[in-house]
Amino acid sequence: MKSFQVKMRHGISVVLVLAAVFLAMSAAASVPANPAAGENVEDKALETKAKDSAPSTTASHPVPDDKAMRLEGEKRFQANCSRCHASPPTFPPRMMATILRHMRVRANITDEDRKLILRYMTQ
Amino acid sequence: MRSVRFCFRKLVRAALPGALSLAVAALGQDAGPNVALPQNSTIQSPAPNENSSAPQGSPAVQGNSQSYSQGGSIEQELGISPVPVLTGYTSYFTRVNAGQVQDAPALSPLLLIPLGDNWLIESRGALAETYSKNAQGDFAGKFAYGVVYAQANYITKYVTVTGGRFTTPFGIYGERLAPSWIRALQVTPTAVPIASLSALGGMLRGGVPAGSDKVNLNYAFYFSANNTNHIVATDRSTGGRIGFFFPNQRVEFGASYQQVLQADRPHSVGAHFIWQPYRVPLSVRSEYVRTSGTKGSGYWVEGVYRLSQIPSLKRVEFAARAQQFFAAPNLKAATIKKLGALGLDANQADGGVNYYFANDVRGTVNYGRQFIAGRNANLWTVGMTYRFVMSAWPGGGAL
Repeated sequence: MKSFQVKMRHGISVVLVLAAVFLAMSAAASVPANPAAGENVEDKALETKAKDSAPSTTASHPVPDDKAMRLEGEKRFQANCSRCHASPPTFPPRMMATILRHMRVRANITDEDRKLILRYMTQ
Repeated sequence: MRSVRFCFRKLVRAALPGALSLAVAALGQDAGPNVALPQNSTIQSPAPNENSSAPQGSPAVQGNSQSYSQGGSIEQELGISPVPVLTGYTSYFTRVNAGQVQDAPALSPLLLIPLGDNWLIESRGALAETYSKNAQGDFAGKFAYGVVYAQANYITKYVTVTGGRFTTPFGIYGERLAPSWIRALQVTPTAVPIASLSALGGMLRGGVPAGSDKVNLNYAFYFSANNTNHIVATDRSTGGRIGFFFPNQRVEFGASYQQVLQADRPHSVGAHFIWQPYRVPLSVRSEYVRTSGTKGSGYWVEGVYRLSQIPSLKRVEFAARAQQFFAAPNLKAATIKKLGALGLDANQADGGVNYYFANDVRGTVNYGRQFIAGRNANLWTVGMTYRFVMSAWPGGGAL
């Protein structure tokens, strides 16, 4: 009987957590784009810029330009680093390279993310 | 027998010069940029905020670009040679747990040593002194120390091979959120120590785009040997974790599994979730853990909100967490006593404020209310953390 009660409590708890998460997600998705209400304008602008100047792989632009790569790097930085901790300051390039190698292991960031973030953080 | 020795000597004489030249060539190619560069070699590193088109004109960077196009690393392309780094954090907390006062200074240094293009040696230690009142009513200190991890990593594009002592890849708290300078609330969730947290063995891990740049797959699989040394104690176990990260939505979820291969051989399963909406400076993190053994199950949900839109309050961060822990059913009294906090059902709510004096210096005030049958308690934590980062190599800190 006790194990049944425990299972019931588990079930109710999981359902409550999932419901809370989905409520929060839907509430955030329905918030209008209002800077005063907490929208991160920089992120939004960055997203648009990155889309506009996305690295082109057409024959006329075989290599992505530096500006687009830096913007993409900033986007990857914002998406990856703040998942766990506050945005770090800029460190000297040789230290930054080591720290990003550490993050490649610790946070499982992809090789491409590491390259773009290193370029963004050191140039 | 004599002729065998003669042949062996001949073989060694013939092979030694070749092996030595190979080793020298390998060292020159891999370790060279790390150890052999003079201090002024940082001139190759592009200055911060400099337009990246400028350094491409310099001969040094041009040369490195050529080597990168032949398969070299991003460090070579940018003309940056990574250096050993000493980082970590120090903290001082005063805790009041159910009326019992504790003062706890701590230091946790982390040494990172990059070697060549693919290697990283890393080791984190932990030293802590906890002062509390003893039976005579005097404050007495209790010193604790240990090695959190000491591992060698060989990093390639799709897989990282790790050997040594490491934190088990189970859930997100142990690997990513545990350091005091990172965690938003200082009290560790009750359910976190359910799974075995440290391992001594090998691990394969990595993060790769899963078919497109909209989803990243991250994975980690490990095995661990049993070790009874009190500083580096580990269980014989195996397990892994798989996660999916959606960078455009900043959502990550995943699952973990762990099988202990000793004693009563319990297995643990876990699930984790992280969400950081672009619209608000909010982080939502959650974890669920369940074990088949005597350690029960539990979950926690945490929300962290940084007031970054209000200029005068942008250094302030609010955090709140709810958690429930369910002890395993039908535990004997002796087992409950042995398990301590994991022996009884508990509900707990925590809240706190963090203030960033600087990027690396943070003040913290946390309050938690713990509900356990017959002994509810208030948990207060007040303190500061300082994260330090410094070059451990001459010239490494040069811009």
